[in-house]
Amino acid sequence: MGPMVLWILLAFLTAGVAAVLLMPFARTAAATPADRAGDVEVYRDQLEELNRDRAQGLIGTQEAEYARAEIGRRLLAAAGAGSVSGTVAAKASRHRVATAIVTLLPPVLGLCLYLSLGNPGLPDQPLQARLANPGNNLALLVTKAERHLAQNPQDGAGWDLLAPIYLRSMRLGDAELAFRNAVRILGPSATRLTGLGETLVAASDGVVTDDARAAFEQAVKLDPDNPRARFYTGLGLEQAGRAPEAKDVFEKIAGESPSDAPWMPLVNEHIAKNGGQVAPKGAAGSDAAQAPGNPSSQDVAAAGQMSQGDRQQMIRGMVDSLAARLKEDPKNLDGWLRLVRSYAVLGNKAKAQEALKSGLTQFPAVGEDGKQLVALAQEMGLAAEGANP
Amino acid sequence: MIIEIGHYALVLALATALIVSVMPMIGARRGDMAMMTLATTGSLALFALVLMSFGALTWAYVVSDFSVVNVWENSHSLMPLIYKFSGVWGNHEGSMMLWLLILCLFSAMVALFGRNLPETLKANVLAVQALIASAFLFFILLTSNPFLRLDPAPAEGQDLNPVLQDLGLAIHPPLLYLGYVGFSVCFSFAVAALIEGRIDAAWARWVRPWTLAAWTFLTAGIAMGSYWAYYELGWGGWWFWDPVENASFMPWLAGTALLHSALVMEKREALKIWTVLLAIITFSLSLLGTFLVRSGVLTSVHSFATDPTRGIFILCILAIFIGGAFTLFAWRAPSLKSGGLFAPISREGALVLNNLILTVATGTVLTGTLYPLVLETLTGEKISVGAPFFNMTFGLLMLPLLVAVPFGPLLAWKRGDLLGALQRLYLVAGLSLVAGLVFFYIYNGGPILSIFGLALGFWGMFGAVADLWYRGNFGKVKLGVAFRRLSGLPRSTFGTALAHFGLGVTVLGIFAATTFGTETVTEMKPGASVDAGGYTLTFDGMREAAGPNYTESRGHFTVKRGSVSVAETWSSKRLYTARRMPTTEAGILSFGASQLYVSLGDPMADGGIVVRIWWKPFILCIWGGALVMMFAGFVSLSDRRLRVGAPSRKAKAAKVVKPGLEAAE
Repeated sequence: MGPMVLWILLAFLTAGVAAVLLMPFARTAAATPADRAGDVEVYRDQLEELNRDRAQGLIGTQEAEYARAEIGRRLLAAAGAGSVSGTVAAKASRHRVATAIVTLLPPVLGLCLYLSLGNPGLPDQPLQARLANPGNNLALLVTKAERHLAQNPQDGAGWDLLAPIYLRSMRLGDAELAFRNAVRILGPSATRLTGLGETLVAASDGVVTDDARAAFEQAVKLDPDNPRARFYTGLGLEQAGRAPEAKDVFEKIAGESPSDAPWMPLVNEHIAKNGGQVAPKGAAGSDAAQAPGNPSSQDVAAAGQMSQGDRQQMIRGMVDSLAARLKEDPKNLDGWLRLVRSYAVLGNKAKAQEALKSGLTQFPAVGEDGKQLVALAQEMGLAAEGANP
Repeated sequence: MIIEIGHYALVLALATALIVSVMPMIGARRGDMAMMTLATTGSLALFALVLMSFGALTWAYVVSDFSVVNVWENSHSLMPLIYKFSGVWGNHEGSMMLWLLILCLFSAMVALFGRNLPETLKANVLAVQALIASAFLFFILLTSNPFLRLDPAPAEGQDLNPVLQDLGLAIHPPLLYLGYVGFSVCFSFAVAALIEGRIDAAWARWVRPWTLAAWTFLTAGIAMGSYWAYYELGWGGWWFWDPVENASFMPWLAGTALLHSALVMEKREALKIWTVLLAIITFSLSLLGTFLVRSGVLTSVHSFATDPTRGIFILCILAIFIGGAFTLFAWRAPSLKSGGLFAPISREGALVLNNLILTVATGTVLTGTLYPLVLETLTGEKISVGAPFFNMTFGLLMLPLLVAVPFGPLLAWKRGDLLGALQRLYLVAGLSLVAGLVFFYIYNGGPILSIFGLALGFWGMFGAVADLWYRGNFGKVKLGVAFRRLSGLPRSTFGTALAHFGLGVTVLGIFAATTFGTETVTEMKPGASVDAGGYTLTFDGMREAAGPNYTESRGHFTVKRGSVSVAETWSSKRLYTARRMPTTEAGILSFGASQLYVSLGDPMADGGIVVRIWWKPFILCIWGGALVMMFAGFVSLSDRRLRVGAPSRKAKAAKVVKPGLEAAE
């Protein structure tokens, strides 16, 4: 059902309301009932009640007489007024302005306000329907996996899959639970333990806690070559004030890693920090841990509090900063994919096209990476040059 | 599409409300039938539109449509279905929608059931109602729109505040709003009457069912809120003199006064000014309560979110309606014809005393609620006005009122006989004192003064029974005759007696629970026992468990009387995963009207856990009494008299025969 159907329904609704409101004007003015008939009835009832109260001794004889006189006076007044009052039969001509207002106000005010407040183009999105057809919406896939795990909590592979996603989206509590479940069901592995450790570190604002250190140490035992786990054990030593030992660990990582490994700048930084000499290296790679353009959890939380306009602006700001970083460091497939998608979603086709072109120069369409860009372009309805050789 | 239709219906409702708030009023001035009838059809259309809109929002909650910001912020797909429904009003935007829905419901009911109201009065009442609706529609659409959308939609919501994930949320707000907003009808009637410049007994009779209905719902709503706070917050208290509680209590006090003075006005056409003024004050206090709670001036579980523009908006609504109504009152009040005369000692006089005390009591609560806010705004100094202040002022005011309550129904209209009433009540007083003493003897342990508190509760209960006793002339005539006389009494008499009885029950519960209750805070390890209220509570240990959207640690307790195991309970600490928010779920066991209340504190390093145990004797009387009062309201509502004056016109023929029937009685 397209937005056309919506507009037709809204038109019907407006017409219906206007019709209902116009009904009183269409009827010929009926003879109006005497205004005070109700009053008379009430006073009669009061007199009856007075008798009842008198019978029960709720009011003295004399007082009852006074009250009867009071009510009687009001009754007479009301009965007298009733015969006089009456409503003027309205002529149709007097209602020209009134009917015009009643006919015009609902559609005019309705449309003006609704167009400025509503989202007529946005369809309903019940969760069940979205989950049935999640496409490649990561958040929906996560939700779907969560539901699956709620039913089958012993599915270790599911936890293993979800855990790093949670960590990346800073859902640390869930990440910890997922890593622990994966370790419990599938057994410890260097990757899982490192992930758990990183979660714990992130949860305590970068401090390598005892729990985290234990996880990293076990990971190193299982896989002595794991640079990530080793880096964090080094970091733990550094934070404990054991600089020489920390320096040893970092230097060992540096010595065994290829010189263009993405973690090298960070490792070198820590070697220097702990009083070591950094071997001069040529190209400084990007910090892999910091994927550019990812909003931090605070940003996302802030977005929730913002108005529509502010949120759009924040998103645009993030997209622009991503574009700027990609200009400096173009060898980042994830970044290009995100930039193209962002521009397309924001409705900026020209920029999306431009970003796609720049991305394809870095990752040619014939390669495995380039194919991803082309696939995205097709999904977003963009023309990818050189996609179909 | 359903959501967008709901949004549009709300906008259309604003257009309708604007038309209905202006045209019928012009019609009433000109005597134009068509424009006055517009009030009836318009109010029904308005209700239908708001209902449609509310339905669309509810639908969005039920199907978890997170493309609606409001749903995303306050719901979670894994919540049980009932909380998806109640979650609609468990947030600022939705609760304003509920407010509006109930306002329009009342308008629609006046439109439907008010067929025999004078056309001009009905048109004016509905116009004022629509004016209030317009103001709140503007407020909702411009500052608190629940239909704003989110694109792309998130996959999961941020969950409802865990404290609100309770059956209480499904019951408390709708009841409370039925009361709060119900008083808008009284307000509209008062304003309409002031506009017309005509206020008489017939008017009072038309207003009374609405007052009674609103009062009944508000009583139930407050009692429910109090019980909810009692079992959910885990502090063992049932009333905290929290500003938000006061905000609902003030309209109740003023509404109670209104109910009584409308009675006088209806029967004897006296207390006109009182009645009109109280009608305005009561709804003004409802509006003030809405402002205090919704503007974020107060921070509490009720304030959901704070936004200064909302506060200013509501403040403007407040100023316009309250200011407007009082101006109208000042202009018209001098021209009101004075009604029936009465001596100071009479039923009317007693009700004036009741009004005076209740109004002053409302004033003290208002002072205690607003003073800290004003002080903080002016000087930045933060003070909290708590139970000691309210006990000293409000409590002290209530004592003479409670003593006076049984006298009221026994005094005659116009000129009463206080000595006669005293003679009839001295037996009741004696019995109450004895009952208080017996109670004190059985539950020995409280201060001696508590005997008088207990006796006061019994005094209210026995006094209500005595009222019916003397009405039926029991003891003087044969039992059968007395019962026949009793069954011949109008329902409203039973309503009065029941409500006063319920008040006594509540007072009894308050004094019993506060003076004989015990509190024990101790660290317990599995196997440890604590005595409370004659029961022995044994802690059996902790266990982990999980609900649909939370995990919990629950402690198991076995309760023994002597050596016999009589009950068991779980008390738990929950963690709601989506918001990482902890709550306590107290374990509560009822023994008759008394309760044993177990709440878990923090776990200790050595494996023990801090446990708070309260013994609350007769605490259920507090809410039981409120339930009796609510029931009394319904009994009174069913009184034939309330349908006179606004009944079907067919009744007239039957009326003529009636006096004969009365005489035979």
